[in-house]
Amino acid sequence: MRILSVLFILILAGCTSKEANLVEENTPTVCDLDYSRYQATVTGYCQIPAADLPDTLDTINKRITIKPLDEISEVFWFNKQMKYSLVKQEGDAPLIFVIAGTGASFESAKMVSLQKSFFQQGYHVISISSPTFANFIVNSTNTKYMPGDLTHDAKDLYKVMQLVWAQVQAEDEVQASSFSLTGYSLGGAHSAFLALLDEQEQVFNFEKVLLINPPVSLYNSVSILDQYFDLRNNRPAAVAMFDEIFARFSTVYSAQRSSKFDQSSIYSLFKNVELTEAELKLLIGASFRMSSSDMIFAIDVSFNTGAITYKNHKIDKLESLTHSMQRASNITFGDYFDRAMLPRAQQEDPNITKADLITRYSLHQIEDYLKSSEKVFLVTSKDDIILQAGEIDYLKDIFGSRAKIFPRGGHCGNFDRQNFVEYLDTTFQRGTN
Amino acid sequence: MLAISNKCRRYIMVLACTLLAACSSVPQLENNVATPIVPVPENNQELGVFSAYNDPWEGFNRRMYYFNAKADEYVLLPIVDGYKAITPDVVETGLSNFFNNLAEISTFINSVLQFKFSVAGETFGRFFVNSTIGMVGLLDVATPLGLVEQNEDFGQTLGFWGVGAGPYLVLPLLGPSSLRDATGLAFDSFADQQVLDIFGMTAEQELYLSLVNSIDARARLPFRYYASGSAFEYEYLKLLYKKYREIQVAR
Repeated sequence: MRILSVLFILILAGCTSKEANLVEENTPTVCDLDYSRYQATVTGYCQIPAADLPDTLDTINKRITIKPLDEISEVFWFNKQMKYSLVKQEGDAPLIFVIAGTGASFESAKMVSLQKSFFQQGYHVISISSPTFANFIVNSTNTKYMPGDLTHDAKDLYKVMQLVWAQVQAEDEVQASSFSLTGYSLGGAHSAFLALLDEQEQVFNFEKVLLINPPVSLYNSVSILDQYFDLRNNRPAAVAMFDEIFARFSTVYSAQRSSKFDQSSIYSLFKNVELTEAELKLLIGASFRMSSSDMIFAIDVSFNTGAITYKNHKIDKLESLTHSMQRASNITFGDYFDRAMLPRAQQEDPNITKADLITRYSLHQIEDYLKSSEKVFLVTSKDDIILQAGEIDYLKDIFGSRAKIFPRGGHCGNFDRQNFVEYLDTTFQRGTN
Repeated sequence: MLAISNKCRRYIMVLACTLLAACSSVPQLENNVATPIVPVPENNQELGVFSAYNDPWEGFNRRMYYFNAKADEYVLLPIVDGYKAITPDVVETGLSNFFNNLAEISTFINSVLQFKFSVAGETFGRFFVNSTIGMVGLLDVATPLGLVEQNEDFGQTLGFWGVGAGPYLVLPLLGPSSLRDATGLAFDSFADQQVLDIFGMTAEQELYLSLVNSIDARARLPFRYYASGSAFEYEYLKLLYKKYREIQVAR
């Protein structure tokens, strides 16, 4: 929910006080919002108690050169070098790689929750941005395969993970007793493909691999999210609803006694704004749209595809990008699939159809491996919004006793909740081999 | 002192006007470029929030945004880190409270100017309690007593009296603002300075104080340039700033 978090940071910035400290003290363990799968996706499943996690971590922010820096466009001057992070244990310990979800960075709020859990469990934690995040895209040496192509994303990630592992050994003297892997959302699907690749390459020999709230089919999931913010068929209505949400937030905020913001006042704001299901969906869709706009722009610049930028034009770092952002608002992820991913794949193999590609970018592609591999686990919610009808049953069928399906939590809404962290603890108990 | 600073201000105004007018951010296209495949939506209305705020000074603003990002990385944040390293947490909190307490004065003035007497009363209460029991503002004893902190500035006062926000403006080091809010900021800092004069501070002392105030303010701001990783961060921030101020003024 990046748009919201940016808004809140800005609001925090506006009020010159020390909210940061207050948040820790006043955070209620539960909220009293009405539960829905959409609400849980937006605000988190805050109706159940929060887990006891460290307040802060000693995170080491790292950078690594993957692609020669002079080959990266000036418009991404702030993205030269790939960024990732390390949270280190004293001495020898197991190490886990965590892969972020669609359009998310190594330091997104959800990543930080996972880092805290795994660090508390005794793991060194290396966090890597999603191959759909701009910083990853512009630093990747791949200019052939479109991000979202899971098999090739996994190859790309595997290479990055090896370079990163070499760097933390050399620079931070990290000693790993074993390797594990996890990822949420799209990062969960990436983890599945990485697990298979690692069986062949055997560089890390992952001990455990956990897929958290993964899509079954990338295409199905993005089709769901595209519909939430339907600019193609229903632009005026979507835009009007967006303005209406802003207006209601502002009315409720005006009625509050204090102009300050902390966790509990954010919950009470949401409670009083009383977002309808359609409005919650719109917020989710808008946030997804922002991520995909960023992704499409980064691909355009890196691959010179000319979808929302001028083909063959070197974009200056001070140049206006407003026109590109406006163009991006005109395309759905579905368009990206049809107009960018499919043609690319057909360049390689002219006989490939859209249906083939939809299967290839899904867990169906590697289901035999997932059925038989004892090290691959799955955790998700029964009401995850990115799953289509029948996909939960499919996951149960594939993973059997290695699947944990929480009845509630929406999409990734329970990472910092007691029940989820307890599940991670039992699954990743140290020394269980 | 005042005469010099007036002269300075005039130069800065002239310089600013030149810069605002002179910079362009329109793409300089080479000969072999192709028009993007995806068109810009024809009807600007259709874009909704993404076109709600035009940006006549975009060229200047983008340069300033770039400058700010660099200055933040190479100057401000290193100073903030140094400040945090050498100052004990108790002192940091004390100073933050102290500056917050000083800021209550302009909040008070501005809430009176907008006839928000309950806000003014609460703010006065906070200032009184914190300045006395709270040892000249080093402790915040008012918040636990239920007197909540309010936020009013001269930009909001102008907005309350019907002054439009004017063009979006990125200020050096301070970041997102608008013509109206930047004017308001100048008024508020002038008012603050007058208050410090009343307390008998010399110009030099005031300078040190405002320096520490700026460092403290930056230290408390969790924002990092380009942490979003997005090429559209400039656009997003502009949109959010404008919306946020509209909400504040409506309050």
